[in-house]
Amino acid sequence: MSEQLDKAFEALKTYDWGTDPNTVKAIDEAIITTHGDAAARKDLEGRLVLVLKSEAPRAAKDVACRALKTIGTANSVPVLATLLPDEKLSHMARYALERIAGPEAGQALRTALTKATGKLKVGIISSLGVRGEEASVTALQALLADGDAAVAQAAAHALGDIGSPTAAKALISAKAGDATKGAIADASMQCAEHLLAAKNKTAAKATYDKVLAGTPSKAVKTAATLGLQACGAK
Amino acid sequence: MDLAKIMDTNQPTRRDFLKTTGLTTLALGFPTIIPSSALGQGATPPPSERIVMGGIGLGNMGSGDMSNFLNNPKVQYVAVCEVRGGVRDQRKNQVDGKYNNKDCKAYVDFRELLAREDIDAVHIATPDHWHAIMMIEACRAGKDVFCQKPETRTLREGALVVEAARRYGRVVSGGSQRVLEDYRKIVNPCWGGELGPIKAINVQMGTMSKACNLPPENCPTDIDWEMWLGPAPWAPYNHSRCDGNFSCEGGSWRSYSDYSGGNMTDWGAHHIGGATFAVDVRELQPTDVILTAEGDKKWLSFKYPNGTELTLNKPGKGQHQVDGTPGEKREPKKIPEYAAKGGIGADFLECIKTRGKPFRDIQLAVNTVTVCHLAIISYTLGRSLKWDAATQTFPGDEEANRFIDRARREPWQL
Repeated sequence: MSEQLDKAFEALKTYDWGTDPNTVKAIDEAIITTHGDAAARKDLEGRLVLVLKSEAPRAAKDVACRALKTIGTANSVPVLATLLPDEKLSHMARYALERIAGPEAGQALRTALTKATGKLKVGIISSLGVRGEEASVTALQALLADGDAAVAQAAAHALGDIGSPTAAKALISAKAGDATKGAIADASMQCAEHLLAAKNKTAAKATYDKVLAGTPSKAVKTAATLGLQACGAK
Repeated sequence: MDLAKIMDTNQPTRRDFLKTTGLTTLALGFPTIIPSSALGQGATPPPSERIVMGGIGLGNMGSGDMSNFLNNPKVQYVAVCEVRGGVRDQRKNQVDGKYNNKDCKAYVDFRELLAREDIDAVHIATPDHWHAIMMIEACRAGKDVFCQKPETRTLREGALVVEAARRYGRVVSGGSQRVLEDYRKIVNPCWGGELGPIKAINVQMGTMSKACNLPPENCPTDIDWEMWLGPAPWAPYNHSRCDGNFSCEGGSWRSYSDYSGGNMTDWGAHHIGGATFAVDVRELQPTDVILTAEGDKKWLSFKYPNGTELTLNKPGKGQHQVDGTPGEKREPKKIPEYAAKGGIGADFLECIKTRGKPFRDIQLAVNTVTVCHLAIISYTLGRSLKWDAATQTFPGDEEANRFIDRARREPWQL
């Protein structure tokens, strides 16, 4: 196995679009066989990090990021963070970072948020939402009023994904414009569902009332009305 | 959910609330369609009273669905959305030909179609990696949805599409017509009580999808490659990467894991859908996935909360082979049927009027495809798993939880 793994990492140095994926298959196999072996996993992770630091082709770094999605730890976060501003590799860096447990990955995404723009910023925001960390609420709240509507909408949906009481408050207090009102309403209702599940009907009702007060679309009005029914409101 | 909370399985969830409140839009009378029977107009309502529909993703399966809906007298078909220009033109021409006008609008971007207030419902038959985003956006836009199977590409997508459907009070149907139509030979005796209490059913399933690294080719000018890829990782165009043929063994998007689960989801949605319907666990998700290796064969056992077992590829067991308890009595149960004659599409259309849940209500479809995804993860990791349907996580299994979802390429987000 070790020899096959060495061959795979050698092949990875020049792995490009069109290269036979079987030449690097041993890496995926090593991920499976090292389950429960912390030392072997650490070694494997270290080798993948080196690929990301190298001049290997984009396709090779794609392979490395996919592997780190499964086995990446805080040790991978610094190199993955360097890829977040890269138009070609930002997504695959998030492919790993979104699933790496531990606060370091979330912090790396939040740090990158301050400098990112456009689509890459939207991507980072969406990953923060999926991670669901309370620590992201403040940064996302600030983006609800972003001049880029796509960024503001993404921030709203991310707060809905987090769904905590502070996320709910951030959404309720947001000033929704035409471009963002749908996203803010949807995210608010997502939070209201959390509140209802926690039997906090009062706060849930306040959320649905706020949504209805905001000149909602027909679809949102229907949804909020259904939500109020669930709160026991007439 | 906060990743740290994933380990705590005792939190009440939004899914419990959405499941138990029994939300309905019937009282809200939405959409505002007057039944043709009320107008005494027989089976063909006038155009102004038909269900206004559009289609998204109109390749092999999509064109079949489109023809079914287009030819249904209850439908007024007004829009097609397809990223391949030649296909888009063909479908538009087909619709225009049906109505003898040029009114059908053609779109590349599905969001423009969903933004139309005149459209009541959409059908979706894109590659699998798009299904969840489109279903959720359609619900947010107030549309009822018919989505081809497999309805999701990841476990996390399943919970989110059900939440969106319930939040917006939408009729959302999954797409396996085979569940009711192909498996009567096992459904009838199981539901009829002849086999006694059912202990287990086996499904034989083929391969999973795999990595794709086909060489770059020049992309034809009439394909919007960025839109075809959508939330999937970027890769250069290759005609085999995006071919919509039904192979899962290479040379089609169904073969490749960025877009599909392969046979395990493509046929799994049918065979496992049929199996879980036959043994009446379609409203449940399994709690345990047990992987057993016997020689060079690996098979899975899914344990359900009510004690029923579904096995996958168990040696010595045939396709849909049922283990009952012959000789023991079990009262027959009424077999659920479509709400209207004319197949799964007609069922969907009838439910749009009545606001009832379709035969393949999205929760039932998700329950089926969840089994497919659990199988893929178990086979991939080469071990058994525990699954918590309430939290939609693998309790205490950080490694397996990494497989619940995958980051979407910007700007796409669920």
